[in-house]
Amino acid sequence: MASPGGQGGAGALSTRGGSGVRRMKWTLELSLGNTRSRDRQSGQGDVVYPIGYSEKPVPDTSIQETDKNLVEKRCWDVALGPLKQIPMNLFIMYMSGNTISIFPIMMVCMMAWRPIQALMSMSATFKLLESSSQQWLQGLVYLIGNLLGAALAIYKCQSMGLLPTHSSDWLAFIEPPQRMEIMGGGMVL
Amino acid sequence: MGKLILLLLNLIVLYNIVAAVFEDQVGKFDWRQQYVGKVRFSHFDTHMQSSKKVLLATESNVFAAINTRTGDLFWRHVDKTGPEGNIDAVLHHGQDAVLVVGNGRVLRSWDISVGGLNWEIVLDSGSFRSACLVGQQGTVKHAAVLKKSVISLHYLSNGHQKWVENLPESETVNYQAVHSDGNGQVYALGVVSHSHIAVVAYSAEDGEIIKQVSVEAPWLSNIPASCAVVGQGMLTCVDSTTMSIYTLDLYQQLQMIQIPLQSLGLEVDPGFQPHLVSHQPHPARQPLSEFLLQLGPDHHLLLQLNNGQIVILRDFKPALLVSFATTGEKTVAAVMSPKNKTACGINLFSAESGRRLLDTTLIFTVDPNAGKPERLHVQAFLKKDDSVGYRVMVQSEDHALTFIQQPGRVMWTREEALSDVVTMEMVDLPLTGTQAELEGEFGKKADGLMSMVLKRLSSQLIMLQTWVAHLWKLFYDARKPRSQVKNDVSIENLSRDEFNLQKMMVMVTSSGKLFGIDSKTGSILWKHYLDNIPSNAAFNLMVQRTTAHFPHPPQCTLLIKDKDSGLAALHVFNPIFGRKSQVAPPALSQPILQSLLLPLMDQDYAKVLLLVDDQYKVSAFPSTKNVLQQLQETAASIFFYLVDSSQGRLSGYRLRTDLSTEQVWEVVIPVEVQNIVSVKGKRPNEHVHSQGRVMGDRSVLYKYLNPSLLAVVTESTDLHQERSFIGILLIDGVTGRIIHEAVQRKARGPVHVVHSENWVVYEYWSTKSRRNEFSVIELYEGMELYNSTVFSSLDRPHAPQVLQQSYIFPSSISTMEATLTEKGITSRHLLIGLPSGGILSLPKMFLDPRRPEIVSEQSREENLIPYAPELIIRTEWFINYNQTVSRVRGIYTAPSGLESTCLVVAYGLDIYQTRVYPSKQFDVLKDDYDYMLISSVLFALFFATMISKRLAEVKLLNRAWR
Repeated sequence: MASPGGQGGAGALSTRGGSGVRRMKWTLELSLGNTRSRDRQSGQGDVVYPIGYSEKPVPDTSIQETDKNLVEKRCWDVALGPLKQIPMNLFIMYMSGNTISIFPIMMVCMMAWRPIQALMSMSATFKLLESSSQQWLQGLVYLIGNLLGAALAIYKCQSMGLLPTHSSDWLAFIEPPQRMEIMGGGMVL
Repeated sequence: MGKLILLLLNLIVLYNIVAAVFEDQVGKFDWRQQYVGKVRFSHFDTHMQSSKKVLLATESNVFAAINTRTGDLFWRHVDKTGPEGNIDAVLHHGQDAVLVVGNGRVLRSWDISVGGLNWEIVLDSGSFRSACLVGQQGTVKHAAVLKKSVISLHYLSNGHQKWVENLPESETVNYQAVHSDGNGQVYALGVVSHSHIAVVAYSAEDGEIIKQVSVEAPWLSNIPASCAVVGQGMLTCVDSTTMSIYTLDLYQQLQMIQIPLQSLGLEVDPGFQPHLVSHQPHPARQPLSEFLLQLGPDHHLLLQLNNGQIVILRDFKPALLVSFATTGEKTVAAVMSPKNKTACGINLFSAESGRRLLDTTLIFTVDPNAGKPERLHVQAFLKKDDSVGYRVMVQSEDHALTFIQQPGRVMWTREEALSDVVTMEMVDLPLTGTQAELEGEFGKKADGLMSMVLKRLSSQLIMLQTWVAHLWKLFYDARKPRSQVKNDVSIENLSRDEFNLQKMMVMVTSSGKLFGIDSKTGSILWKHYLDNIPSNAAFNLMVQRTTAHFPHPPQCTLLIKDKDSGLAALHVFNPIFGRKSQVAPPALSQPILQSLLLPLMDQDYAKVLLLVDDQYKVSAFPSTKNVLQQLQETAASIFFYLVDSSQGRLSGYRLRTDLSTEQVWEVVIPVEVQNIVSVKGKRPNEHVHSQGRVMGDRSVLYKYLNPSLLAVVTESTDLHQERSFIGILLIDGVTGRIIHEAVQRKARGPVHVVHSENWVVYEYWSTKSRRNEFSVIELYEGMELYNSTVFSSLDRPHAPQVLQQSYIFPSSISTMEATLTEKGITSRHLLIGLPSGGILSLPKMFLDPRRPEIVSEQSREENLIPYAPELIIRTEWFINYNQTVSRVRGIYTAPSGLESTCLVVAYGLDIYQTRVYPSKQFDVLKDDYDYMLISSVLFALFFATMISKRLAEVKLLNRAWR
């Protein structure tokens, strides 16, 4: 959207005019820090920084040994996430009961959908874990956790009777048998 | 996907029970037609000049009054069927009509203006002979009833007996007629066959015998057939053997005077029994001295008896029917004479002079599809200028009544043949041109490129033709004023509706008249009278080709079998138009035992009909080469069974390739012990959607769906209430294997059976507990299917599981049928015709042998109703609300294009057509669905979205500016 409020201008933009200045819809300032309003906002008086000067201190980017451990830890957190959810899920399952109504169905759907979604975006998770040394182990744990979550959802479906595991579930698909003999007749007229 | 939807529907269906009709739906889907039957006696109400009533007493034991202007019923009284309710005589005087009912059992008087009962008395036993009104000094106050050995006189006002006298010598003399002509005497006329006439004159005052004479008459055997009282007490008889008219003066009783017909220059047609008709305009006065004599089928004479001399007033030849009628002081004779092949002329003649009255010609057009006129009922009235005007009611051979006004305007027609429907079928209406084109194109097997192209071209040509015809009709109608454009159903604009709810009802009546009735409105679209139908014929109606095979016309075949000679004939016709088909049916020289409609089709898509003759040889119709070849190929799998109830023999036959048969099995039920009363197979067009039942633990109990299973019902010959029983046998019709046998002890018929899917429901009278009971048998294969792809009766090693349960029903029933739907998904109901005239729709759910006595978790899961021995009749289950259907004899059900809807026709004395929705209308929007509300809400929401979108845009823009 070509909105005038965007940051696409070459210089800083302002829509707020000064108190003494007649309010304008917009202005474009080609020179930085030249106006009074800018001055007031920055509150730095007439000081003009040279180009390339940053007010913020530059952090120290040299890699330290402790950071490495932190990454490992963070990666394990990611990998163990699904497993940690399981007790919670079990609790929800227990609470929602086996009746077929809208809330238990929603719970089950959510429980089933989350691991499936996670499994589908496995590659993205692997990218996250790339920096870790135990990448494969963590991946495996993550996978198992999700599979367990999915299994739990299926078990819930099973206990609610939503899985077509009985012969009665396939009853409607049985074709009527073809009759081999043609028969007719009746009382002698 | 379709299956899934069906499954879902199935689930919905299981939870539904039928609901009653709403008040505003009355008459919307249903109609009723009331009939009276074949007319035996008719009396025009002459009590008032402006009266519009005609009283009819019929052979169906109905007494009714009909509006002569419209042909509608004023009132109707339906008596018991059979000889018990038989109407022996009707005496009409003034406001009262006195009926002798049930071979002289009951005397009843009806007030004809409202149809209310004045009084009813039970007469002494003795078979009824004759009855007449007795008047004295110009007033009629009594009715005389002559029985085999007694004569009694009753007051017309209250029915009390004035006197009763024994008839003298009633062991030898056969009293046959009673006569009174207002002189205070009642004459009982009896005959000793081929010997003499006995005349006994009673005083009307006290029943004293005034005179008793016997007169030689060796030629006489039946008084009502050949005699009539004419003029001043002259008993006049005609005899064909001596070719003479005899007269006897009842007042003096000297002797019979013989007048040879030759002396009058008359001659009786050879082989014809001459007949005399006299006329007594008022019961308190003497009969006219003029009388009618019939000498041949179309030869009538108007004669006058004058001082013992007979004068010929007029000779009517040709004259089909003649009848007297009186109005005021004038008596006329109406004579119907044939004009040409399609019309008859009726003229009035003065009874006194035999002169033809001017301007009294009436033309009666004889419908070629109706029977010949049989009787003439004349209603004469005096016009303002004192001349005689008249209307006639013509009764024809096919029991139809036609009421005609001068100069030949048919005021109404009543098809009384419809009071006795024997069998019926419902046929789909043809598609419109466009629909038929599509069906014809894709509904057939491909047979070569060239023929397909030709077929397409021909069907498109037909389509073009119908389109042009339609355009022409539009153009033609546009020029006419709107009021003249008729919009009713006629045979030309018949076409199938969207959901195939409108069908053609083809009805076969016992008189041999066929009707085509539109199921939506009940209007008769075609009729066809088959003459020469024997009185005790058996009919079998089959649909050989439906309307689905455009451009081939639909085809129905009616098998008519004379039960006496055993010979049968086929009538092939188009069920939509009623026209006889060009297809020539084979001449059947051998007596036919049964017919069998095969699912095989010939190249013209007509189903093959097999006829089994008494040599157990089979002939096919149509019998083209193609058919014979198909028959040869499939002969090994064609079986049929015959049930001979007189010998108690059930036998099964197999077809050989040379169209002879061999007997495969035979079951003999000893006729000394029990009789076979009915055999019920399954309906060939029945579909069963679900192959099993889901149990509470979600396993499946598979149904035993044997298409060739027969339910045979037997009743014991011993009717003693301790020893009588009924038996039910389930036999496989192919192998003769007895699947199940049940005997209900201390039970008696009549048994009504319905056999469908995997269940048999039957109803009987329990003599032990004196109540009607229902019993249901269900057959299951078990938890496993033996063979899920094919069903062969020859390969069935395991016997099915049989479950049975019985219930008490609070009413007796007249007939029973099960609903039928297109795919068999909808739950089934039983339609029960009750003697009270109601039709009950009883959910099959209540007749389920798996209904548990103790409710468990599983049975609750299965939706089983706990067992209760009584079946309750709920008033909302009556599908015909207050439209009573008298004497229901049969109920016919047909599927419609909607799975939820089943078409029902109940026939008996009345015809009632309706629709039932056993699982409610799950596939149709409700009748009172608020289209306006829904569409306005939709539009409102749409516009609201549009507006709010615009508003949101503006708001966003404004926010961006901030």
